[in-house]
Amino acid sequence: MAIFKHKRLENGINVYIHPTAKFKTILVQLFFHRQLLNDEVTQSALLPAILQRGTGTYPTRQKLALRLEELYGTELMSEVIKKGERQLICYTMDLVHDQFLPEEHQLLRKGLEILHDLLTNPLLAGDTFKADYVEQEKEQHEKVINGLINDKIAYSVERCLQEMCAEEPFSVFKYGSLEQLGKLDATSLFQFYQTFLQESPVDLHIIGDLNVEETFALVQKIFTYQRGTEKKVPPTKVAVQPREVSYIRDEMDVSQGKLVLGYRTGLHYGDDDYAALVMYNGILGTFPHSKLFQNVREKASLAYYTYSRLEKHKGLMVISSGIETNNYERTLEIINQQVSDMQKGEFSQADVDNTRSGLRNQYLVEEDHPGALINRTVDGILAERVFDTKDLLARLNAVTRDDIVRIAEKIALDTVYFLTKGGV
Amino acid sequence: MTKVLEHSLLREKISWRRIEPGLEVFVLPKKGYNKKYATYSTNFGSINSRFIVEGQERELQVPDGVAHFLEHKLFEDEQGNAFDRFAVLGASSNAFTNFTSTTYLFSATENFTEGLELLLDFVQDPYFTEESVEKEKGIIGQEIRMYEDNPQWRLFFNLLGALYQEHPVRIDIAGTVESISKIDKEVLYQCYRTFYHPSNMAMFVTGDVDAERVLEQIEENIQRHDYQPLGEIKRLFPQEPAEIAKEYVEQTLVVSEPVLNIGFKEQDLGYGGEKLFKREIATNLMLDVVFGPSSKLYNELYEEGLVDDEFDAGYVAEQDYSHSIIGGETAEPEKLFARLVEGIKRAQREGISTETFAHYQRKAMGEFLKSFNSLEFIANNYPAYHFKKINFFDYLQVLHDLTQDEVNQRLQEHLSLDYLARSVIWPKSSPR
Repeated sequence: MAIFKHKRLENGINVYIHPTAKFKTILVQLFFHRQLLNDEVTQSALLPAILQRGTGTYPTRQKLALRLEELYGTELMSEVIKKGERQLICYTMDLVHDQFLPEEHQLLRKGLEILHDLLTNPLLAGDTFKADYVEQEKEQHEKVINGLINDKIAYSVERCLQEMCAEEPFSVFKYGSLEQLGKLDATSLFQFYQTFLQESPVDLHIIGDLNVEETFALVQKIFTYQRGTEKKVPPTKVAVQPREVSYIRDEMDVSQGKLVLGYRTGLHYGDDDYAALVMYNGILGTFPHSKLFQNVREKASLAYYTYSRLEKHKGLMVISSGIETNNYERTLEIINQQVSDMQKGEFSQADVDNTRSGLRNQYLVEEDHPGALINRTVDGILAERVFDTKDLLARLNAVTRDDIVRIAEKIALDTVYFLTKGGV
Repeated sequence: MTKVLEHSLLREKISWRRIEPGLEVFVLPKKGYNKKYATYSTNFGSINSRFIVEGQERELQVPDGVAHFLEHKLFEDEQGNAFDRFAVLGASSNAFTNFTSTTYLFSATENFTEGLELLLDFVQDPYFTEESVEKEKGIIGQEIRMYEDNPQWRLFFNLLGALYQEHPVRIDIAGTVESISKIDKEVLYQCYRTFYHPSNMAMFVTGDVDAERVLEQIEENIQRHDYQPLGEIKRLFPQEPAEIAKEYVEQTLVVSEPVLNIGFKEQDLGYGGEKLFKREIATNLMLDVVFGPSSKLYNELYEEGLVDDEFDAGYVAEQDYSHSIIGGETAEPEKLFARLVEGIKRAQREGISTETFAHYQRKAMGEFLKSFNSLEFIANNYPAYHFKKINFFDYLQVLHDLTQDEVNQRLQEHLSLDYLARSVIWPKSSPR
């Protein structure tokens, strides 16, 4: 049972409508899919900011902002997402449902019109983007690329994965590079934009209290732009030969050290064994009852945060903790012990039961969040296996202790990364 | 006695009951949601480090960070800890401490009744040992270290330190490694006995629940504990001068860009209730007019390359302290500061037109309605406003009744350059 209705428009845009009366809003998300390529990600990550500088209808950033605010504070945001070796340019629009607005009956139509205008009707100077806009946005984008360092937790995880996948497309930073950015100008970017629009596969998701047929008709009427031949994104390479563990150390003037461990799991979201991997990861490091929290934090008082999480599409697992820099050896030893205990099957029935209940709770809670439901659908589309809550719960319930131990044996440590204090 | 408050525009209905000896409980049924969510809050936050209870002789002064420390330790009991018992129920629990309150919460899709019982029981059952208190110092020490590396957090507390001379809002919520070293189990018990009395607490429950059954369950649980009445708690604060502490504060950290925040210290203080709510809503609306994404000033600064799309402005309204904070990353903090001051003066000269006022009123209405998808948003805000004697659901009405004049008045009075401080984080490698 799929909770959404899918339809492919004549121009090839995939529309997914999720009808539900639960929310006070209508959430619209539009995704452009791109292969994660070093010489293209910078352009596509920069595009949304250029487009936001003005359209034929709303010729300045300010006029566009005013128009959105007029629609009861409608927000239109863009973000860059990396899922496996794929870059997604995502537009999100959150609208109040008309039924709460006595004087308003067409909010979704008005919102979609702005979105279509923004994507397909950019403000131009002659037959290209305005050069001063492009230069200003290149400067802003340089700050976005450099800004990774401001969040030391995100920075250390990114650095670990970069080192780990140095030889693979996955190491490409989702916002691109300064080197690529330097090469761009208004003309080359406009050319890229046209190709981007023509060839990127597009999914449009709408969730809220909607009539399915009317909404399809509305989207069909508004999203009329001409597209060319679609360029499919090749699948992410998951299977990688294990290698000797590599140890990386970065020095920086910080208060707290960040210890990040990168592992290969060999499994992705669509695999039959993925549910067992989720259980494995849950027992190891998702919850307060998990091994990492209990042993690194509660028993040894070494960290405030310590967790493990999965990258769903590339088959990676990351363990991350913030520690006193002189506790590196001790923390690493305790983490290694937890991972090796998992392999030896040293976890209790209570660990299994509590983790299963905790995950069950998470899947059910996702149904209360429109964004989480869309994200789940996107993961399914990428893996070519869409699971609804019932499917996810059935898969979770089928996981046995033996499955978890079998998975544990496959988890291979690849990289140990440590961000530590420099010699001041 | 249960009272039912209906809000026709929001299409929400809230049930409210006062349970002896003084616990206020609110239940908001949300049909169709899988998640059920409950919070249990005490009106005790990081700023409450000096207090006296009516009928008791001694005034108490406790180390900075004690409310947050207590939050960490309350999860432990003689058999283990509450996290584990929530885990058995498949429920997820957590807690947070801010300046004025501490909140314990859990969410569950199944076993909600058992979870609610557990929440009530663990918050009412303190169990502190010397050993466990000492062990927690390592964990909280790492929490403090984590924030020391967080530029936004440092920028924020540096600014509060510049705005306030004496008021404890200038001190980090978790305290310092030094201040928490002085916390022992006696201090925790003292604070617990004062601030965790039901008359100083509130609960909020939301999700697909039966309001009467929830209220009955809570009432039975509380009455089993045989509470004695507690005298009124007097929260003592040092006399805070009207003037700011200093105009400028700076720090260097490993960041890619300088960050600037400016703050205006409120002068109109000393009351809660609807009047405070109105001041909060009016001030936030005014800040949105002057600094928001469609404002003239913001768009000029954006085109000059002085701000990015994370630039933000917001107002915090409390009975005893209030301030607005405006800013973001910028290549040139000094230039941005000068341009902000100019922009404020210009906005004050021009005033806010009827049309502009209506535009922002409508925007604020839409934004409030949208936030009502989130059970957490409702459950985390409602009790916090309740402690300020504000009914959070009155937001739309207060917004509707607001006048252009009131917002213009905030523009003239609140954005006073006499009460303006600024905080800058410089990049470590910045050639200054």
